[in-house]
Amino acid sequence: MVDQANALEHLGLTIGSPAIKSVGPLAFGPEGVLFIGDNVGASIFAVDVADTAGSGQAASLDLENLDGSLAGYLGCGRDDVQIRDMAVHPDSHNVYLSVMRGAGDSAIPVIVRLDGRGTISDVSLENVAFSETAIEDAADEDDPREVSRVKLRTVTITDMSYVNGLLMVAGTSNEEFSSTFRRIPFPFTGDTSSNSLEIFHVSHGKYETAAPIRAFVPYQGNNSILASYTCTPVVQFSVGSFKPGELAHGKTVAELGAHNRPLDLISYERGEDEFLLVANDRHPLIKIACVDIDQQGALTVPDQSLDSSPADPVTPPVGVPRQLLPQEGVRRMANLDGERVLMLQEDQEGNIHLHTYTVDQL
Amino acid sequence: MSQRRPVGARDLTLAWDLLEGKPTLRISGWDANDLSTMEELDAGEFSRRLAVVTTEAAEAAPDLADNDQLPRVAGSFRIAGDSVFFVPRFPFVEGMSYSLLLYGTPSSGHARVPEVRNIRRPSREVPPTARVEAIYPDVSSVPVNLLKIYVQFSESMSEGRAERSIRVYREDTGEPLEGVFVPLDPELWDPERKRLTLLLDPARIKHGLVPNMEAGYPLIEGVPFRLVIGSEFRNAAGSPMLSCAERVYQVGPEVSERLIPNRWQLTVPPVGSRDPLLVEFDRPLDYALLQRSLWIEGPQGNPVAGGARSGNGESSWTFAPDLPWTEGPYRLVVAPELEDLAGNSPVRVFDRDITQSESASALADGVSLSFHCSGRRQDSGRGQ
Repeated sequence: MVDQANALEHLGLTIGSPAIKSVGPLAFGPEGVLFIGDNVGASIFAVDVADTAGSGQAASLDLENLDGSLAGYLGCGRDDVQIRDMAVHPDSHNVYLSVMRGAGDSAIPVIVRLDGRGTISDVSLENVAFSETAIEDAADEDDPREVSRVKLRTVTITDMSYVNGLLMVAGTSNEEFSSTFRRIPFPFTGDTSSNSLEIFHVSHGKYETAAPIRAFVPYQGNNSILASYTCTPVVQFSVGSFKPGELAHGKTVAELGAHNRPLDLISYERGEDEFLLVANDRHPLIKIACVDIDQQGALTVPDQSLDSSPADPVTPPVGVPRQLLPQEGVRRMANLDGERVLMLQEDQEGNIHLHTYTVDQL
Repeated sequence: MSQRRPVGARDLTLAWDLLEGKPTLRISGWDANDLSTMEELDAGEFSRRLAVVTTEAAEAAPDLADNDQLPRVAGSFRIAGDSVFFVPRFPFVEGMSYSLLLYGTPSSGHARVPEVRNIRRPSREVPPTARVEAIYPDVSSVPVNLLKIYVQFSESMSEGRAERSIRVYREDTGEPLEGVFVPLDPELWDPERKRLTLLLDPARIKHGLVPNMEAGYPLIEGVPFRLVIGSEFRNAAGSPMLSCAERVYQVGPEVSERLIPNRWQLTVPPVGSRDPLLVEFDRPLDYALLQRSLWIEGPQGNPVAGGARSGNGESSWTFAPDLPWTEGPYRLVVAPELEDLAGNSPVRVFDRDITQSESASALADGVSLSFHCSGRRQDSGRGQ
């Protein structure tokens, strides 16, 4: 372990036991470092999961009633298992889940590892190489402007992604409605605020608002980001437009209709083409070709003619062409190895299953 | 010794115990020879003899004879004295039933189908104590494009129950209003988990978006609604609420205008006093943001120490300095993030119509209002 720590010193990791209060969004960074969003502790942890045991060969996993199996492993009832996110180790291709066992004072954060045979284990969070950064700069206790004001503001991380030395973090405040989107350099330096961005999106060429991002995914060689909002638009940004301290303006390329919430986004390639998948809480899984996003102008008026598959006459989607896929109840997704995609799917009874699909099936 | 019948699961006693201070499941009643034999087994062999699973998982398992596929509770076995202890990786859950599966003892021989013994972890009865202390906005009427509601609890709460615990009804017909709030995943709590933020569905509030055009505002102008905070919430210790809470709001017209602090009325206290400065707004403001978005700067431009309070209905704000007011110019500084009930701030309306130049006007860094303390109390509303 000490050797491991030395090996990761250049990433700013030190040996210790990270005080993780909760586990939420996950993202893998360089050299198998796992970023863990801790919304209760208002921190992001970078943990060396020391995963060198895998064969490196990805295995197709199809695990029925995964939440029930996790409950068995964690020694609790199924209702006490909340799977928060899923990520795939880039080298071992083992699957990592952030899981909360229980709620309230007795809640326990767990990072679960599923190996290629589906065997459940959990990542020890004691005496591991890790580093930590606060989601927000701590308030200055001596600032007289803070007199008589109780610190009640929080930022809840909704999604994270690591690209070229930057951890990109989308969050929602419990007070201001506007978007919180940060780019945090890794190794962590403590500098987060200078990279905070205010992101606006325009709906139908007329109205512009800031809003929290629910999920996002980099694509096109990390030059673009596709983001879904708490308010259903799917918006494209150029990474080059992200300048610290300036407003970023995105292009609304699709709307997914009323009473629906996009939950997760991933990208994958098939042959020469790149595609994006959007998982929704009410609507089916949606597939979008990246080339169509480039060709799609910003939405100006709701235009159903652009839609290739007008499925639901009650909520006609608008914008970029898309295809509806049959996978039901998709809650989280991860690109397993470029050839296959993992999906956590919830059935009608609320049970969670893990399935693997090849990109040719999508 | 060979005369005795082999010891089986029926002879074993399960009990909750501590081992080195850690909660464990103690399994006693073993034959001494069996125990010494088992002590020699490696972990893999041991787990072919014994397994601890939740009773829920044992009942759901397709075949308990398939020892390799058991949904075992994470943990390890230890032998100490005359007992085997199961030390769980994660604490046992109160009220949860666990099952010991015994695939035969050394003396009885291996059994393909296990004998099963169950034991339930005791649960404590915790009396309900939590209640809702306040629901904000603390006003009787809200704009139809209301953006946020805050629910203040009396103590720290458990997460994960908001979705099933919060309901909205039309006050006139009693019908439920659906899709009012953004799905509460993740739930938005303050650091102590005492205040929950409810976001009214912004997709339905935002002009021009499909959900707004299809479904309209989540609220209906002229139709009062009743917000019910159900008793399904649990406090952080897991005990239920003392009672549910509710609040009825009238629903008024849309508010789509930037905050304009120049319209606020200031009542300036006299020099030498520590009387509070009173600021009266032209509309109610967001309760949470009001607590931290206003402050006073003194004649030298330094923030003034003192106590700030928001007034009834979030329609006013007072500030009493720690030291008496002195002669000279002061500034009431308004942070750009301050919002009214519909998310309009001093720098922008909630969603600005970029084809309308007047709504597009935005100030960069918030605003401030100047006031001058002199010998007598004065009313003013000047801005700069």
